[in-house]
Amino acid sequence: MVPVQWYLLLAAAVFCIGLFGILTRQNALLFLMSVELMLNAANINLVAFSAYWGNVTGQTFSLFTMALAAAEVAVGIGIILVLYRNFDDVDVTTAAEMRW
Amino acid sequence: MTTKPELRTGSHLLPGLAAVALFVVIATVILRASFGDPQGFAADAPITASIGYAMFDLEMGAVPGESFLVAFEIIDAVLVAALVAAVLLARREQDGEVVALLTDGGREVRDRLRESEDTEEGER
Amino acid sequence: MAGAFDYAPAIVLLPFLSFLVSLAGGKYLPKGGAFGGIAATAGSLVLSAWVFLTVSAGNVYNETLYTWVAGGEATTLAFGLLLDPLAAMMLLIVCLVSLLVHVFSLGYMNDEGETGLPRYYAGLGLFTASMLGFVVADNLLMAFMFFELVGLCSYLLIGFWFREEGPPSAAKKAFLVTRFGDYFFLVGVVAIFATFGTAQFAGEGSFPVLAEEALNAGTTYFGFAPQTWFTIVGLLILGGVIGKSAQFPLHTWLPDAMEGPTPVSALIHAATMVAAGVYLVARMYGFYALSPTALGIIALVGGFTALVAATMGVVKREIKQVLAYSTISQYGYMMLGLGAGGYVAATFHLLTHAFFKALLFLGAGAVIIAMHHDEDMWNMGGLKNKMPVTYYTFLSGSLALAGIVPFAGFWSKDEVLYEALVHGLGGSPLLLAGYAMGLVAVFFTGFYTFRMVFLTFHGEPRSDVARDPHGVRWNVKGPLVVLGVLAATVGFVNMVPVQELTGIHLEYLHDWLAHGEISALTSEHYGELLHDYAHYTSADVASYVAGAMSLALALAGAGAAHVLYNVSDPDEHTEKLGAVKTLWYNNYYQDEYQVWLAESVVLPISRVADKFDQGVVDGVVNGVSSVSLFAGSRIRRVQTGVVTNYAVLLTLGLTALLVVFGLVGGWFA
Repeated sequence: MVPVQWYLLLAAAVFCIGLFGILTRQNALLFLMSVELMLNAANINLVAFSAYWGNVTGQTFSLFTMALAAAEVAVGIGIILVLYRNFDDVDVTTAAEMRW
Repeated sequence: MTTKPELRTGSHLLPGLAAVALFVVIATVILRASFGDPQGFAADAPITASIGYAMFDLEMGAVPGESFLVAFEIIDAVLVAALVAAVLLARREQDGEVVALLTDGGREVRDRLRESEDTEEGER
Repeated sequence: MAGAFDYAPAIVLLPFLSFLVSLAGGKYLPKGGAFGGIAATAGSLVLSAWVFLTVSAGNVYNETLYTWVAGGEATTLAFGLLLDPLAAMMLLIVCLVSLLVHVFSLGYMNDEGETGLPRYYAGLGLFTASMLGFVVADNLLMAFMFFELVGLCSYLLIGFWFREEGPPSAAKKAFLVTRFGDYFFLVGVVAIFATFGTAQFAGEGSFPVLAEEALNAGTTYFGFAPQTWFTIVGLLILGGVIGKSAQFPLHTWLPDAMEGPTPVSALIHAATMVAAGVYLVARMYGFYALSPTALGIIALVGGFTALVAATMGVVKREIKQVLAYSTISQYGYMMLGLGAGGYVAATFHLLTHAFFKALLFLGAGAVIIAMHHDEDMWNMGGLKNKMPVTYYTFLSGSLALAGIVPFAGFWSKDEVLYEALVHGLGGSPLLLAGYAMGLVAVFFTGFYTFRMVFLTFHGEPRSDVARDPHGVRWNVKGPLVVLGVLAATVGFVNMVPVQELTGIHLEYLHDWLAHGEISALTSEHYGELLHDYAHYTSADVASYVAGAMSLALALAGAGAAHVLYNVSDPDEHTEKLGAVKTLWYNNYYQDEYQVWLAESVVLPISRVADKFDQGVVDGVVNGVSSVSLFAGSRIRRVQTGVVTNYAVLLTLGLTALLVVFGLVGGWFA
């Protein structure tokens, strides 16, 4: 079977692409999409090890993280709505009131 | 004449180097790590059925796994909470009266419309 | 039945109780707390008499009552009582004079309608308690603490009429000048602790005994030979003695202290507080006797002060000023006696001086009441017919002060001069210088004393007030009579010349101080120490010869005063001295000199010290705070408010952490 390092590398790459998105994106919705990417990278990791050790724990766990991701997006979209109402813009760099 | 969307490049991409650095570190660690012997699944093992059994603490699955019943119930509660939170965040209030995202099945709108009909008829 | 020693702490605590009562409830009491004070001092007097009788039966008490720092191997700090013959005698003196002063105050303060009496009697009570505590102290630190308390009470009482200009300034001066001396005293106390580990006056582990042993063994201290080091420590402690007993050069506060009420002057600045310094040297005599240099300096300072103060007293106009300089001069005699090896003589002079000087001050107080608080002697005159009791008691005190036989002062002053003479002739020429100065001072003493008497009481009245003086009551005359009798008779306790002439055993005081259970505190032991370590030997001169010389000088001085001033309308003869009079009247410009020292020497030094404190010490503290403020104002700019920036910082931190863990954990090996 495929050596597990490739799966891990893939997961790491997806994670870092998601991280890149978080660090550079200005639009709040795209920010949320990058967060989703990072969550999915973790899921890839879990499933890879489930296949490696022959244990379904990893796959079951990844189902739960998916459910959690959905819940988190629901609340996140609500927050972006409120952000838009208050700042008239979904740009995360304009909402910088809590500063020194 | 339309312009195509341009990919925005500039100095705002500089923080992304941190992500690249992190990838390099993680990759180095992964490639130097040694893992044990792979077990893998049997060729015809009922994986999906085992996932279902594991989720409900039923020990009938052929493939081994841990029990996730408590996590299942908690996730259930979390999803309900997320739903309520999303609706709450999306409400819009004006002077104490809810204006957007009505949750009464349209009764209020119907009553308002009926009121304006009555007044119009009354005027005539 | 419990012995006197079990009740001994009450001697100190009773006046302290009267202090508290006067302070808290004096304004509700009929005489402002006077009767409380009189009762307390009478009680202390009774207890002191009982202690005196117990000690005279041969018992001695040296116990620690309360340990406030239990040092274990190192120094232990404690309060305790030491009741030996010297202390018992001094207790009687202090209690008696304090009681008489309290009674006199009824006449001087209450009857004259003074305000603020609770404060006055509270001050008197606290002073009496502090002085008694000082007398019975069994270690040097406790003595120092009560020494300071006594100085505080002096400040409070001198500045009693604080709403006028003079008294608060005089009180400050008294406190500061004595405090300057006490600074050296404190260094000396610490040196005693550092050298011997204990400051006990008596007992086997006491520092005079340890010092004697160290001198025999030849142990060096801090690189000094033992006798040199003991001289240094003795001179440090002498600083406090010179300040408190108003010796040259720290004598300047005593004449100004006459701004206080006259009973205060009688108690504090004649009989008790200034005696504290001399008493301290007598208490530590076993230590001072080991160092001839220290003794020589004490004698010289004493003799010089005696002469200089006597000259300054000759030209003064106010009666209390004459008495103030007389006090300074007489304490000079006591220091001369101690320095010359005459422990008994100095103690004897302390005893007699307490009584006759208190008498003279109280008599002056009676005169001041009569003259409606005018103190200038040139406004008085002819008072002896109007105030006979005051006159005769004052005369008794003056005869004692001048040293005319058979009054008390003659016997004690003569013995001081005799000791100086014989020890000086026996091989210490410094003491002869002191003797010479003391002898010249006898002439001046006789002169100024009788000048004072004749100007005040004889001749024709020179002002209306003197013609018709205010009367005084029994509460003024009673103490005067008691002290007058004492001034005439207390000299009989130690009549050494008569003993030499007739062979009858008359030196009771010598016996009182010579023997005792604590052998290290007896005058016998001191005599041995003086012979062995200070190398004092006595020449063979008959004491009545020396006595006749000093008596002749005293009579000469009195005679000169009689010729010049005992006329119906005396002139200001001192004017004829010209520039000398100006010098003496201005006190050899010592006051101006000390002010100049403070302004030109001490003030610049303190400015430099202040600059160091503000600049360096405060500067460091302020610098630390400004570093913190600056760092904070720069670092807080990390909080930009932009979420992506925070994410960058998170990521960088995570990466760094992973790298560190990897390097340490060997992931990259």
